Amino acid sequence: MRPRWSRIAAISSTLAVALSMTACSSSDEGDELLIYNAQHESLTKEWIDAFTEETGIKVTYRQGGDTELGNQLVAEGDASPADVFLTENSPAMAAVEKAGLFADLNQDTLDQVPPQFRPPTGKWTGVAARSTVFVYNTNRLQPDQLPKSMTDLQQPEWRGRWGGAPAKADFQAIVSAYLQLEGEPATEQWLEGMKTNAKIYNDNIATMKAVNAGEVDGGIIYHYYWYRDQAKTKEGSANTALHYFKNEDPGAFVSLSGGGVLKSAKKPEEAQQFIKFITSRAGQEVLEKGDSFEYPVASGVPANPALPPLDSLQAPKVDPSTLDEQKVTELMTKAGLL
Amino acid sequence: MVAPPLSRPAIEVSRSEAAARPGPFVSATVAILVAATCIPLGYVVWGAISVGWSRAYELVVRPRVGELLVNTVSLVVVTVPLCVAIGVAVAWLVERTDLPGRTLWRPLFVAPLAIPAFVNSYAWVGVIPSLHGLWAGVLISTLSYFPFMYLPVAATLRRLDPAVEESARALGSDSAGVFFRVVLPQLRLAILGGGLLIGVHLLAEFGAFAMVRFDTFTVAIFQQFQVTFDGAAGSMLAGVLVLLCLVLLVAEATARGTARYARVGSGAPRAATPIPLRHFAIPATASLVALAALALGVPVWTILRWLSIGGTDVWDVDAIATALGQTIGLAAAAAVLTTVLAFPVAWVAVRSHGVLARMVEGANYITSSLPGIVTALALVTVAIHFARPLYQSVPLILFAYVLLFMPRALVNVRAGLAQVPPGLEEASRSLGSSPTATFFRVTLRLTAPAAAAAAAFVFVAVATELTATLLLAPTGTRTLSMLFWSFSSELDFAAAAPYALVLVLLAIPVTLVLFRQSTKVAAL
Amino acid sequence: MLDIRGLAKSFNGHTVLDHIDLSVPRGSTTVVVGASGCGKTTLLRIVAGFESPDAGTVSIDGRQVAGPDRSVAAHRRGVGYVAQDGALFPHLTVGQNIAYGLPGSARRRKVRNRVAELLETVSLDPSYASRRPHELSGGQQQRVALARALARKPVLMLLDEPFSALDTGLRASTRKAVAALLADAGVTTLLVTHDQEEALSVADQIAVMRDGRFTQVGAPQHVYRQPRDRFTAEFLGDCIALPCTVAAGFAECALGRVPVGHSVGDGPATLALRPEQLRATIVSDTAQAGGADDSRGGVGTVIATEFLGHDVLLTIDPAGDNGPIVVRQHSLNHPAVDAKVRIEVIGSGVALK
Repeated sequence: MRPRWSRIAAISSTLAVALSMTACSSSDEGDELLIYNAQHESLTKEWIDAFTEETGIKVTYRQGGDTELGNQLVAEGDASPADVFLTENSPAMAAVEKAGLFADLNQDTLDQVPPQFRPPTGKWTGVAARSTVFVYNTNRLQPDQLPKSMTDLQQPEWRGRWGGAPAKADFQAIVSAYLQLEGEPATEQWLEGMKTNAKIYNDNIATMKAVNAGEVDGGIIYHYYWYRDQAKTKEGSANTALHYFKNEDPGAFVSLSGGGVLKSAKKPEEAQQFIKFITSRAGQEVLEKGDSFEYPVASGVPANPALPPLDSLQAPKVDPSTLDEQKVTELMTKAGLL
Repeated sequence: MVAPPLSRPAIEVSRSEAAARPGPFVSATVAILVAATCIPLGYVVWGAISVGWSRAYELVVRPRVGELLVNTVSLVVVTVPLCVAIGVAVAWLVERTDLPGRTLWRPLFVAPLAIPAFVNSYAWVGVIPSLHGLWAGVLISTLSYFPFMYLPVAATLRRLDPAVEESARALGSDSAGVFFRVVLPQLRLAILGGGLLIGVHLLAEFGAFAMVRFDTFTVAIFQQFQVTFDGAAGSMLAGVLVLLCLVLLVAEATARGTARYARVGSGAPRAATPIPLRHFAIPATASLVALAALALGVPVWTILRWLSIGGTDVWDVDAIATALGQTIGLAAAAAVLTTVLAFPVAWVAVRSHGVLARMVEGANYITSSLPGIVTALALVTVAIHFARPLYQSVPLILFAYVLLFMPRALVNVRAGLAQVPPGLEEASRSLGSSPTATFFRVTLRLTAPAAAAAAAFVFVAVATELTATLLLAPTGTRTLSMLFWSFSSELDFAAAAPYALVLVLLAIPVTLVLFRQSTKVAAL
Repeated sequence: MLDIRGLAKSFNGHTVLDHIDLSVPRGSTTVVVGASGCGKTTLLRIVAGFESPDAGTVSIDGRQVAGPDRSVAAHRRGVGYVAQDGALFPHLTVGQNIAYGLPGSARRRKVRNRVAELLETVSLDPSYASRRPHELSGGQQQRVALARALARKPVLMLLDEPFSALDTGLRASTRKAVAALLADAGVTTLLVTHDQEEALSVADQIAVMRDGRFTQVGAPQHVYRQPRDRFTAEFLGDCIALPCTVAAGFAECALGRVPVGHSVGDGPATLALRPEQLRATIVSDTAQAGGADDSRGGVGTVIATEFLGHDVLLTIDPAGDNGPIVVRQHSLNHPAVDAKVRIEVIGSGVALK
């Protein structure tokens, strides 16, 4: 009995090793465009499918988070295998740009995007946008009790009444805008206020659900999570509504999702094509017609009809390529949020 | 065989063996492995040094770190004794009493090992959405990790010589007296080993605690590293975590004393007569049912519920099949590799004495207590700077798995090796087999069941590993855990459910193998 | 054929072997006998190659196998080793165990025949070959271990307390069988034991070990009859020690004048006698205290008897103020308690200092 077992074990383990080697080897066939993708997977997949259908170019991607992938790119340097970098927010793009890793985007790509939705340097471009909102529980807050500005949330009366997700890149982008708009001392103060007042959640969805459940009165999230949930089962947002701060308040910050081509790209032509595609009419219509509920920014494509139009949001003017995520991290660490 | 004195565990070595010196091949392998375990440690230390003393002090001595310390320490201090109580109680009921349905209960309480902690967390959050904080962490970790205590204690109970307990009875002890004064001391090693394993898991777990918003060091480190690749704050946190692990190790070593896991003896003693429960049978059965419901019922029911809510939409067969193939491939390769490499380390630990042996074990345990992310990032940095071709490759991630899961494999291989009396190896050598041939013809064959258990453990561990995999997986590799995590962190629980189900199903047969082996081999 | 010279070994600062010299002639059996912990197992293990000596050499058949500069590995020494508990491989059948050291697969006919042959040599039925070790009794396991070691036709056999794990009843018969087997095979054997009866019966040469040194080495009869010191005398069997005064080849003691062998010098000494040298015969009340026999014995009263079946132990209080003497003799018609007896000394004693 035993000799047979050990023989079986030996054979199967050799097979297993061989299997894993083949199944998992990086797709270095050189045929595929490689995207480091920090955008929502579902959205990017839609873009990729449409792109491949139109151009026939095969695409593969590595999924991750904004800062994670951004940091990985910076660490990889020119040895990075990535051709394209897509993010949800701008700070990660700014960091990679600062490290000098982006190639100039083709002019005809840049022409598709209005100047307010891309950095002046032309190293990358916005490909979608999302707005900061205050989601609140309609049973617990009346419209007149809502905060007028995001800065109000640091006041003592908001203690234990609102929530956010400081560990995530989304929230950090919002804070980076706050930093640019209000300056360091004010940001520091606001973060300390957050530490005292806010309940910490893992991410936007958790925040929204907590508001829905009445754990907190309101929370700072991005708009599209609410719309997505409303379009589906509403179980995360049935008791909630959105409050847009407007008035160029830091809380009205519109964050740009970015797309850029790496200087070290092995397939620079195809990469440029990809960015051009997603900022073209066809690519942006994915945002209009799909269920991502993010805002299109290019080629004059309007937003999904369910959303308030982007220019009605009175977003503050923020230079996306100077958003300093490192400083934000430092301040958050100092405030004890990280 | 003379019964050992009552106050010492029956599984201590009863004669002093001359130290066996490991050969050059073994020493070289062990040396390389020990050096390899220094990579993550070195990374943390280098990070600390490059930050400078004053900044390091600033980063360590701040309220947030105090918060994390309180959380992490409370977690360990509450969960481990709880697991001891539950594990020992269950093992006792199942192995030593006449509890009805014992043959069913026995494998049932190994089953929670098939459910990864983060799936458990997902299930409980599905039942009680507002679950968060220390008690959530304690609840989920106790339910996930008590089998680590139950298995070795049950195996040891099975091997205890009943003559010792019978003598105690003859000397006037009642059942409770026999248990506390005779049986429990003999379980000491099993309890310490299990406790250390649980403690190490608690320190390294990320997904489960992140989901219930309970910030331990590992959760915070993960956040830090996500935010600032090799940020100073993160390395400082990792440093404190390493210190915590050292404390655990020292505590276990002190409690264990000079006793070692070697077991000498001629065969298994006869089985003990079961203790009749009488009117305790009903409350005992009821509590076991409750435990099973909490540990197994809740996760299974939640997964099924989400599956029924999601319907057929969530079953993306292509994606699931690919992920399954990749997960199995990686897990099997890692299991084989780790088990094979565990042998030389176990050899040094079991057959040689002294500081080197404990150092070797200690180095391995330290690495496994570092969150997978620290090891992963250390390897990423090393690969990028010194070994480009290895970056994002399968060998690198396998190497990370070896570093992470060697201790699990070691416990089994060590126990198995300890049960091969050196006398057999000497007999083989006297019959003309060289030491290498002796190893293959005798030692390996006799250690095979333990090695199989080790491989099974590692397989399950790798299949359910999350953080290191997220960082090191070659592009295009999406394991089941990665996909589960990406769905559940978007709170798309229904879409995550099929992956949870497949993960659990994948782990079950391996857990059964583990259980079968544990009935043959003592001490896990 | 086995030559051990100046062997020394210490563990953790504790000296286990202290200058051991031993020669085992070809084809003979030497038994090293001593109490537990005296170092005899270590000696055996060094010869087998499982330990290396701190000093001294071991040579087998003229070839040095252990020494300070060079050591031959255990698996190359061609030595057969039988451990105390047999050490059969639990994962192999009896036949596979025996065939372990033989070249070629255990399934080949040649090997199988040899295994059957060996099983017969140790008086086990060849059908045992397919059984597993745990199905055999202790005695049978021991015999399989022996067969296994003999399979390779080693030049030297080492046995470590081979019979101590057996039930007393089995011990004697197994011992006899094994001794006969080894003698028939003409194999040079070194056996260690703590059982003196075993040592005396099996050995051609006996070496008494105490605390890492040999107290005496020689033929069993010689060492038994002429022990060199009190320890050796008492270790190998019951011994009656009487204070005496030695003068001109005779010892004066409570039992009269007893001739002693090569003397230890005149003056006070201890006389060692074996129980079989004393015989107690009943003396009638009217017998004279004096007489020609006085010099060869003494008179005493039986104060206790212990019936052992075949033998009886008589505790006799001799005349004068000497301590009681224990005499062992056959139990037929033995003197009862309170009987007056004469104790006769047969043969000569040994005077020890």
